[in-house]
Amino acid sequence: MHETNNSLHRILILLLAFLLALPAGLAATNQRASERRAMVENQIAARGIKDSATLSAMRSVPRHLFVPPEQRPYAYRDRPLPIGHGQTISQPFMVAYMTELVSPGPGRKVLEIGTGSGYQAAVLAAAGAEVFSIEIIPQLAEAAGKRLDDLGYGAVAVRSADGFYGWAEQAPFDAILVTAAAEFVPPPLLEQLAEGALMVIPVGSPFFVQTLMLVQKRDGKPYATSLMPVRFVPFTRTGE
Amino acid sequence: MTQRPAGKKQIVLLLVSAALLAFQIALLQILATSQWHHFAYLVISIALLGFGVAGTILSLARDWILARETLLLPLLLCACSVTLAGSLGFIQALFGGFDSLLLFVNPDEALRLAAAALILMLPFSCGALAIGIIFTSGAERIGRHYCANMLGSGIGCVLGLTGLAGMPAALLPPLCGLLTLLSAVPLLPRSQRGVRAYALLSLTCVTGFMIAQPEIVLSQYKDLRKALDLPGAQIIVAKPSSFGLLQIVDAPVLRSATGLSLLWQQELPQSPAVFINGDMLGSVPSVIGGQNPLQATTAALPFALAVPGKTLVLNAGTGQAVALALGEGAGQVVAVEAHRLLYRTLAKLAQGEAAPVFTGDRVQWQGEASRTWLARDRARYDLIMLPDIGSFGGSAGLFALHEQTLLTKQSLTQAWQRLTPQGYLSVTTWIDYPARNPLRLLATLVELLEEAGVQPTEHIVALRSWGTLTFCIKKTPLGSDEINAARAFAQHWAFDAVLLPGMAARQQEPYNRLQDDTLLELLDATLQPDRRQALYRDYPFRIEPTTDDRPFFSQFLRWSRIDVLLQQYGQRTVPFIELGILVAGLAALILSMLAVILVLLPLTRLGVGAGSHLRTLFYFGGLGVGYMWIELAMIHRFEFYIGQPVYSASLVVAVMLIGSAIGSMLTEWFIKQKPRALTLLVFSVLVVYVLALGPILQATIHLSLWSRIALAISALFPAALIMGMPFPLGIRLLNRTGQDQIPWAWGINGCLSVVGAAFATLLAVEIGYSLLLLLAAGAYLLASMFGLKGERQGGA
Repeated sequence: MHETNNSLHRILILLLAFLLALPAGLAATNQRASERRAMVENQIAARGIKDSATLSAMRSVPRHLFVPPEQRPYAYRDRPLPIGHGQTISQPFMVAYMTELVSPGPGRKVLEIGTGSGYQAAVLAAAGAEVFSIEIIPQLAEAAGKRLDDLGYGAVAVRSADGFYGWAEQAPFDAILVTAAAEFVPPPLLEQLAEGALMVIPVGSPFFVQTLMLVQKRDGKPYATSLMPVRFVPFTRTGE
Repeated sequence: MTQRPAGKKQIVLLLVSAALLAFQIALLQILATSQWHHFAYLVISIALLGFGVAGTILSLARDWILARETLLLPLLLCACSVTLAGSLGFIQALFGGFDSLLLFVNPDEALRLAAAALILMLPFSCGALAIGIIFTSGAERIGRHYCANMLGSGIGCVLGLTGLAGMPAALLPPLCGLLTLLSAVPLLPRSQRGVRAYALLSLTCVTGFMIAQPEIVLSQYKDLRKALDLPGAQIIVAKPSSFGLLQIVDAPVLRSATGLSLLWQQELPQSPAVFINGDMLGSVPSVIGGQNPLQATTAALPFALAVPGKTLVLNAGTGQAVALALGEGAGQVVAVEAHRLLYRTLAKLAQGEAAPVFTGDRVQWQGEASRTWLARDRARYDLIMLPDIGSFGGSAGLFALHEQTLLTKQSLTQAWQRLTPQGYLSVTTWIDYPARNPLRLLATLVELLEEAGVQPTEHIVALRSWGTLTFCIKKTPLGSDEINAARAFAQHWAFDAVLLPGMAARQQEPYNRLQDDTLLELLDATLQPDRRQALYRDYPFRIEPTTDDRPFFSQFLRWSRIDVLLQQYGQRTVPFIELGILVAGLAALILSMLAVILVLLPLTRLGVGAGSHLRTLFYFGGLGVGYMWIELAMIHRFEFYIGQPVYSASLVVAVMLIGSAIGSMLTEWFIKQKPRALTLLVFSVLVVYVLALGPILQATIHLSLWSRIALAISALFPAALIMGMPFPLGIRLLNRTGQDQIPWAWGINGCLSVVGAAFATLLAVEIGYSLLLLLAAGAYLLASMFGLKGERQGGA
């Protein structure tokens, strides 16, 4: 009897807490959605990203759920954020820019090297692509896989492995995004790139100056193009 | 007030000065390893202002403090010992999550940085206050006291460096604490049980810190920490050294092939990586020959032009260029690397195909600074390979204040002179944006060729990949065979020709396309004398060749063009282009503001307006700034001369401190007056140094190492000797004419030494080391002209 009362009390307390927290939770959700809309408008669309699938994906993916709790207040700011293990979640514009470059859409198969928090993969998936993502640090891979599952991004397959070798079983890919920059382009990745497909690689530190390199396979041969450093894209607003 | 025997006080000064300096060296290493050396420098500079804080406190409460000297001295030394021993633990416990790189994304981190600096200021303030009390209360014996202070600092310098070379860096702060506590023992009053109990408690704390040394937590963005996050990564070598902590990491997924051609289709061999103070130095070659991916980088260009008989590899580092040269058939390779422990360690590890890089008959390793080797060596080489410039993705100007004496015009000219008639000089740079490294490098090569009386375009070939650009210059004009060989090499690996003799137009369809042609246009402009001069004048960055006097190859920022940069790239971007010098500028600014407050505050007690105050300020400020500038200018001069950076810096500091200590002692016995005349003498000697030192060192650099060391000591000692005299003479004079001002004068000297050091590198970047030395002489002249006057001045 005594135990039953205790259980009842606990349930009532939980219910009360839930009811009290509900409005606050709804307000926070609305707040995040509003921040996300502002992010897309001010940081992304205003800087020339036009692809509707990309913009729509950026509006829909809850970026704040891909960063550590202590970084959530900054999730929609125009900056990269630390996610542990010396890795970062790229600044929103960078994610959008890379997404637009590979034109994700239904039926497109995209390989991502460097899952990190899983945010880029979620954006690609939200834009309609079938995403295969490889992360070398097991703890990050595990956390990202679980996060993507929990948030309903079933089109993303995450594997903890050395990205150098790519994902041969699923090759060729319509696009490859290497989010963790390296001093060389792994030869197996070039092999797994479909004819005419594009590989995008950011070069440099996320905190300093990042340039983007595109590699396109034409007639079986890779051609590289260096794009302007991303930080140098003109800013349209002054404040944070 | 009970007077302590002067001998005891000198022992205290000796020990506490040694402990503070050794701690400073250890702290620099620890913070540079765990965080980032720019911020280590910033934090420590602010902490060193503890000397100024002590001077200010002593000025404001001189009588109260001196009346309690017996009690306060041991208490301060105990406090100093505990804070020395525990400072690292305090910082890590309170600010465990601090990361200097996060400053760029989270401004809250600035508060943590400031707090860290303030915590580190505690031991310096306590120790300095103890020194200041002894100086003030024993001003009549200042020659001896100052001598003990200087000698102690010299010993601390040696202890710090040898300690770092032989034990974990985290152990040094508790040891410094113990040394300071030891200095308190002779001062413990027998009648004051409380003080003795406090000393015992301090001993317990210091011992505790020694037993439970805090682990040095690396920033998660340090190269080493990232490498250790890789699956299967392990540290296979960890050796303290005077160059910093040497660590080698092995992991199944570690591979290296900087700027590899996109056409390379073979496996990339796994290779361990070498780290110094947590920063990656390079990877250890694991293959030679056909399997070596370096043959598919632009760095292999010289081997496509000719097979060299004798090759010189400068700053050979982990031996990658040596492996390339051996694999490409070089007859003999001379590899020059100042870090002897590095290549000796790699030689012990070497096995398999790459073992000949360190142990083969065709390779000879030389443990000397490359620049010094170039100046001393008389052999001729078919190929001279310079180290790669810049880093993958740019370095945000982080190395702006690093001296790169190997890349000056004089250095490249010497390399040019070491070439055989058919010889090549090759150098590879990362392509940065906005373009800086390739432009300055080409400008240096072109000016060198013009001064050699040849047409640059006939001697230069340059190829680029997606990220790197390699220049090769030949002693004689390039022939058609070589031009064809360069073209074939480029085509084979999908590189693009940038410069080739007779090249009319660039390839229509490059393999590696740039977003626009700006870089190529700027390179073309650099080749032509008139357009080059216009570029020097108008380009927003400095791209003129560097000189031995201003060897800052990676410093491109023009302060006068910051407005243009802000306009062109935006306010939030500029700091990321040239961060290194901006952090140094920020440090100098913060230190100046704090120093002004610390220097002016005592005037609230001393009174404002008396001319004697201004004279004290000029005199002791001039000495503080002048001494630091001379020390830093001499370290630069002798680094090149001796050829071992760490040891030459230690030699200069040790000779300066010991010479000054003896000079100070001499003021007790012989030279008891006339500080202004002495200061004028220092000025005159320094002017002679400015004029004569360079030519003397140049003429004798070919001598053996021991002869050069003997010459260095002989050259430095006279200046050091007389530079040790003005301070004690000035204090002694104040003791007669204005005792109140002694702590203030000492505080001014401390503050301006720190501020002077912060400005020294900024000044050297702008005006060069020769003028810095002249400015140092000027500081002494200023001290002489406007400084302290004799007895007629009257008390304050």
